[in-house]
Amino acid sequence: MLERISQLADPIGVIIGFALTIMVLSYLIGDNILFRLAISIFIGVASGYAAVLILYNVILYQVLVPVIQAITTGKVDNLLTYATHVLPAVLLGIWMLTKASPRLSRGGTPVLALLTGVGAATVIAGAVRGTIFPQVGASANLLNIQTAPEELSRLVGWFINGLIILVGTVTTLIYFKFGIKRQEEGVPAQHSVILEYLSTAGQGFIVITLGVLFAGVYIATLIALIDRIQFLWDSIIGIF
Amino acid sequence: MTDIICPLCGKPNPPELDECKYCQAPLNASGFLAPSDQEGQENPFIVSSGDSDQSESQGLKPESTSPLEQAIPDWLKNTEANFLEGTEAKPESQAPDDIAEQIDSLLSQPSTPDNGVQPDIDDDWLASLLAEAGGESSPLSLQEEPLDEKEVPVNADLTGPSVEESNGDEGVLPPAQIEKPDWLTGLEASSKIKVEGEITPSEAFVIGAGVADTVESADTGSMDIPDWIGKIEPEETPSDQEEPGPQIAPAELPGWLEALRPDDSVSATEPVEDLSAADVVTAGPLVGLRGVINAHPSAIRARKPPTYSIKLRVTDEQRARVEMMVALLADEQKPKPLPSQPVLTSRNIFRLVIAAALILPIAWMIITGSQQVPAPQPGEVPGVVDFTQQVQAIPAGSPVLLAFDYEAGFSGEMNLAISTLINQLTIKNNFMTLVTTIPSGPALAESLISPSTSLEGNPGSYSYYTNLGYIPGGTLGLVGLALSPKSVLPYSLDGVNVWQSAPLDTVATINDFSAIIVLTNDPDTARSWVEQVGPVLKEDGTPLLIVTSSQAEPLIRPYYEANPSQVQGMVSSLAGGLAYGRSVGNIQQNGEWDAFSIAITASVLIILIGSISRAVMKLPMSGKKKES
Repeated sequence: MLERISQLADPIGVIIGFALTIMVLSYLIGDNILFRLAISIFIGVASGYAAVLILYNVILYQVLVPVIQAITTGKVDNLLTYATHVLPAVLLGIWMLTKASPRLSRGGTPVLALLTGVGAATVIAGAVRGTIFPQVGASANLLNIQTAPEELSRLVGWFINGLIILVGTVTTLIYFKFGIKRQEEGVPAQHSVILEYLSTAGQGFIVITLGVLFAGVYIATLIALIDRIQFLWDSIIGIF
Repeated sequence: MTDIICPLCGKPNPPELDECKYCQAPLNASGFLAPSDQEGQENPFIVSSGDSDQSESQGLKPESTSPLEQAIPDWLKNTEANFLEGTEAKPESQAPDDIAEQIDSLLSQPSTPDNGVQPDIDDDWLASLLAEAGGESSPLSLQEEPLDEKEVPVNADLTGPSVEESNGDEGVLPPAQIEKPDWLTGLEASSKIKVEGEITPSEAFVIGAGVADTVESADTGSMDIPDWIGKIEPEETPSDQEEPGPQIAPAELPGWLEALRPDDSVSATEPVEDLSAADVVTAGPLVGLRGVINAHPSAIRARKPPTYSIKLRVTDEQRARVEMMVALLADEQKPKPLPSQPVLTSRNIFRLVIAAALILPIAWMIITGSQQVPAPQPGEVPGVVDFTQQVQAIPAGSPVLLAFDYEAGFSGEMNLAISTLINQLTIKNNFMTLVTTIPSGPALAESLISPSTSLEGNPGSYSYYTNLGYIPGGTLGLVGLALSPKSVLPYSLDGVNVWQSAPLDTVATINDFSAIIVLTNDPDTARSWVEQVGPVLKEDGTPLLIVTSSQAEPLIRPYYEANPSQVQGMVSSLAGGLAYGRSVGNIQQNGEWDAFSIAITASVLIILIGSISRAVMKLPMSGKKKES
C-alpha cells in the first residue's frame, strides 16, 4: 500500500506542480483569481512548513530531546553541556515571549537589547574582518608587480583589469564624498573641478554595477522561465 | 384734617389713602393698628390739626397716652415732631413728664458715683472749647450752686417744645426766634457733628453728655458754664448704674432709617401685629398658625419625580439627514469595484506579444532538444576550474558540509551545478552534512539529494549524507556553527545524534570538514558565510566553495578574485553549471542552454526594437514642438 502511494506521489506532485505553474503564468493576461490563488497557496504552505520545521527541528531536537536523552541515559556530562549551551538561550527565549503581551512588553526589552547588540557587534566585526580589510588588501595588490603574469599578452590584460578596478574603486569612493570645505563669504561652496570629474566617473561605475546586477536578476528570471517550460514539457511527456 | 402717619416711613398721609404715598406701606390694614384705635381711643399715629391746639393748651398727660404710645421711644417721637415742624404746625406744648425725661436723659448719661465725690476728670479740652465758645469758665460747682430748673434757658433745638412748655409762664417762641447762646454756636461750629436746623434727639443726647461733662468739670472751678446749665439740678444716678465709657458720636441717619430702628423699650414678646384678621393656615406643616404664608399642599406634596425620556428627540428632517450620513459612511467602507477593463487592450496585447516572443523560441528549443549552441567551457566561466579542482582535492570518504541556502525558485538555475556536485561527492563517497539557514532549505536539500543518491543505487542510505536541518539565529547561528557545530545542531532531522558516529565523531569545529560548500542565490547570505565562517576556515586552509545564481555573482566574485582569495572556487548560473558539468565529463543538456541563448537573443532584440520604435515615435513629436 505504501509502495503504491509512493509510486503515485510523484505523478500527483507533477500534476499539482503543472497546475500551479499554469496558474502563475496566467498573470500574462493580467491579475486574475488563478494567480492570486497560487500565490496564497504558496504563502500558506511556506508559512506552515516553516512553523513545523521550527517546532520539529529546533524546539524538539535542539531543546527537548537532549534533555530527555541525558535523563534516560544518565549521562550527567551531556546534561551539563546542555545546561551551559542551551539553557541560557531557552531562558532568554522564554523571557522574550513577554513581548507578546502589551502589558509585559517592557520586560522583554533587555533580551531584545542583548540580541540586537550582540547581533550588531557580530555583523560589524565580521564585516571588518571578513570584507573590509581583505578587500582593501586585494585592491592594493591589484597592480602588485610581484603578482603580475609573466606572459606579455596576459600582462597587458592584467594591467588594464587592475587599472579599471583601481580607478573604479577610487572614483566610486570620491562620488560618496559629500563634504565641502568652507569658502569665503559670498562664494558658493563647490567641489574642485578635478573631484567633480572623478565623481562623475564614479557615478558611471555605479551605473554600470547596477546594470550588471539588474542583468543578473534578469538572467536568473529568464532561466527560471526556461526551467518551468522544461518542467511543463517533461510533465506533458510523462503524463501522455 | 386728620393725617395718618405711616408706620414705616413716618410721613403723614391723607386719611383716605390705604397705602403710604411715599413708601406704599399699608396704613389701615397693616398690623400696626394701635390697640387704642380698636378700643375707640385715638390713634397716636393720627394727628389732628384741630386737636393740636387743645393738646397744647391742656398738655399731654401721661395717663391719656396709650400703652403703644408709651412704648414709642423718645427718639422716635422727636423725629416725628421734627418732621411735623416742616409740614404742619409744630406742637408748642409737651407733657412735663416728657420734658423731665428728656432733661433726665441729658443729665443722667454721665454717671456719677454714689458717694457724690466727683472724680477728677481731665477735661481741659472741654474747658478750652467752652472758652472758645465765648463764655468764661466759672468755678461754679454743681454742689455749691444747684441749678434752678425754672431758670434754665432751654434751647428749643435741643429739647424741643416740651422744654419750653415746661416753663409754664414763658411764652412759646418759634424755633427761629429762639436764640442760641454763643457758646453753643461756637460749639456747633467746632463740633464734628453738623447741626442743621434742628437737633435730633441723638445729637441732643450727645450734647447733653457734653454738658454733663462740663458740669462735672465745674467741680474743679476752672470753667464757666452757661446759666441755664447751672440751673439744672443734677440728678442722682442710681448706684447700680455703671459708669459709661467714652461716648461715640452716632452717625447721622436719614429719617426713614431712624423710623426702622428697633425699639428696645418694647418687650420682644409683646405682640405687635394684630393677627386676628389674618388667615389661618389650613394645610401643610404650618397648619393652625395664623399670619404666616400659607403653603399650598400641592407645593410641598411629596411625589415621585417625573421621568424624562433619554431618547433624542429629532425631527423627521434631522432623521433623514442622519440616515443619509449613515449611508454615506457605509458606502465609504465598501470597496469600490475596479472599473472593468476590456481584456484585449493595447497594453495586454503588447504584453502577450513580448511573452510569445520569449516563450515560443524557448519552448521550441526545449521541445526539439536542440544542442546547436556550444556549451561554455570550464575555462570560460570564472571560478569553475578552481571549483572543480577543490572538489577533486577533497579526500574520499571525508565529511563535507553543504549549506542549502537558496530558494526553490532558483532551482532551475542552480540545480544543474548542484546535481553534478552531489554526483561527484557521491562518487568519492564523501559524507555530506546538509545544513541550511532558510526554512525551506531542508526540504529542498532532501528533494535534491535523494534522486542523486538513488542514481548510485543506494537510496535512503545514511552513509552518504545527513540532514541536520535549520540553523536558527541567522548570522549568530553561523558563528555558533563555525565554533561548535555539535552544539548548534546536535541532532539530525531524523532525531539521530550523528556526532557520536563516524565520520562526524571526529568533527569538533567546522575546520574538521574537508570542504564547506555554500549553495545560495542571496549575496547577503554568501557574504555572511564569507565573513563569519571564512576567517575560521582560513586558519586550517579548509576551502570555502560557493555555488550561486547569476544575480549574486557580481557581488560574490570580488571575494573569489581577491588576492588572497576568500572563496576558493565558485560556480554561478546556468553557464557555470554547464561548464562544471563539462569539466567532470557530463556533457548532457536537454536543450536548456540553447533555450537560454535564444531567449537572451530575443530579449536583446525586444529591447532594441522597443528602443528604436520609441525613438521613432518621439521624432515627429519633437519636430512639432520645435515648430510650435
